Amino acid sequence: MNSEQQGLGEVSAQAEWPRKLVQAIEFVLPFLAVGLMWEIAARSGIDGLETLPPPSIILQKFWVLTFENGILLRHLFQSLYRLTAGYLLAVGLGIATGTLLATRETAREMFSPLLSLLISVPTIAWVPPLLITMGLGDKTVITAVFLGGFFAITYNTIRGIEMVNRDQINAAKLMGVSGFKLFASVLLPASLVAVITGLRLGIGYSWRALVGGEMLSALIEWGIGKMIYQARFWNDVTTMFVGLMVIGLSGFALDRVLLKKLEKITVEKWGMLARR
Amino acid sequence: MAKIIQIRDVGKVFGNRKDQVVALNQVNLNIDEGEFTVIIGPSGCGKSTLLYLLAGFESPSEGKILLDGQPIDKPGPDRGFVFQDYALFPWKTVLGNVMFGLCNNGWDKKEAREKALEFIQLVNLSGFERAYPHTLSGGMKQRVGIARALAYNPKVLLMDEPFGALDAQTRKYMQQELVRVWEKTKKTVVFITHSVIEAVYLADKVVVMTARPGTVKGCVEVDLPRPRDYTGQNYLAVRQKVLGLLEEEVEKEIQLESQLAL
Repeated sequence: MNSEQQGLGEVSAQAEWPRKLVQAIEFVLPFLAVGLMWEIAARSGIDGLETLPPPSIILQKFWVLTFENGILLRHLFQSLYRLTAGYLLAVGLGIATGTLLATRETAREMFSPLLSLLISVPTIAWVPPLLITMGLGDKTVITAVFLGGFFAITYNTIRGIEMVNRDQINAAKLMGVSGFKLFASVLLPASLVAVITGLRLGIGYSWRALVGGEMLSALIEWGIGKMIYQARFWNDVTTMFVGLMVIGLSGFALDRVLLKKLEKITVEKWGMLARR
Repeated sequence: MAKIIQIRDVGKVFGNRKDQVVALNQVNLNIDEGEFTVIIGPSGCGKSTLLYLLAGFESPSEGKILLDGQPIDKPGPDRGFVFQDYALFPWKTVLGNVMFGLCNNGWDKKEAREKALEFIQLVNLSGFERAYPHTLSGGMKQRVGIARALAYNPKVLLMDEPFGALDAQTRKYMQQELVRVWEKTKKTVVFITHSVIEAVYLADKVVVMTARPGTVKGCVEVDLPRPRDYTGQNYLAVRQKVLGLLEEEVEKEIQLESQLAL
């Protein structure tokens, strides 16, 4: 193992630079290509495209909203607050529910039809009834964010725990481990590949619920979803596109920076992902 | 010698009422303390099932199993288990795996660490304490498995075809290593295999099981000094004896399977 790791180290020390550069180019190129085509199309004067702002204008607007008046940041922080609250709730309850259902056969048999039924309801469809039962403010949006993430995380946790090698559990039981300790020291790490898949899907669904919920909740003033929705009143298409861009970037960053990193320092390090 | 394990009239039936498979029927066996017992039988004879009953992972449908006079009803740290597919914890290092049983049985961190290092040395893995299992070869993984099972000082060591997944060379080497470790620790070992060569190399007593439903067909005492010579006259004579008992059963199992296929 040692020699193998050292071997890899030597090769990469030489090849590191060009490899990274190629990766960076491969990453940026599609964005540049689409951006350029868009720019040309928007400036071409073709009928029907006159209301489409070119990327250069969108980026300019992005700069103004972020650094000159800071409105965008306030929208973003409000959204991130709701996302964090709802998503953390979904993570905690999703993993707990998933574990309970996976380890208790009767409970699983009873509740899995209900789960399948609920998982197929689009989260945004929850928002109108929530608006009436939970009010027009934060509570509704946070609940929607929670529901968005909860089912994906629950479902993947169940799958993950069901697929844990029986003998790993047997080994732990033989060494006197049971109950919560069995969950924390064996079931959770052993099912982490699937759980992280749930976390990644869940944060995507939570984002969608967040933006939709903000648009529909009348008492909410700040939030990326609200920013897009409000821009409608001024026919401000550019601000809408800034909003879309920020949603895309934030989702991308959360997935790549947070969850991909989590994957790297856990299951990837432990050799639990299939080798490519 | 004291009988540490007593298996009395044990039967095991799998499945529901409609679809029953009788895995074990009327198994009776006593195992002495410090004895190296190897159980051998045709595939599907329930030998692994018997070991899972000893571990307490499954409970017998009939009869009972006593360990030190107490009936076995659940898994517990008075037994160590070495699995066919290792079943190591990939999220723990070699040291973490070996410490697992110690830390969960009242040892404090420092003492557990020292004890674990001692057993890692015993299985010749010094230098790999901080390695993760996925970076190790099959033979090395199983040595971690053996160290993990022995470190917390169980009364008996149960081994379920532990070398079945290894190549022939590694397998032979691991057999020699196991004899060395066993002579140092003097544990009671129950070892499952389908290899007659392995059985006669390792065992004080070879227990031959019948085809499905599994029961004890006969025992062969192996009274040969260790380390044994795979080609010695006496070794080959015992091997012949075990093979004789086994062959009938293998034929039965093949007939049984072809009947099922029809």
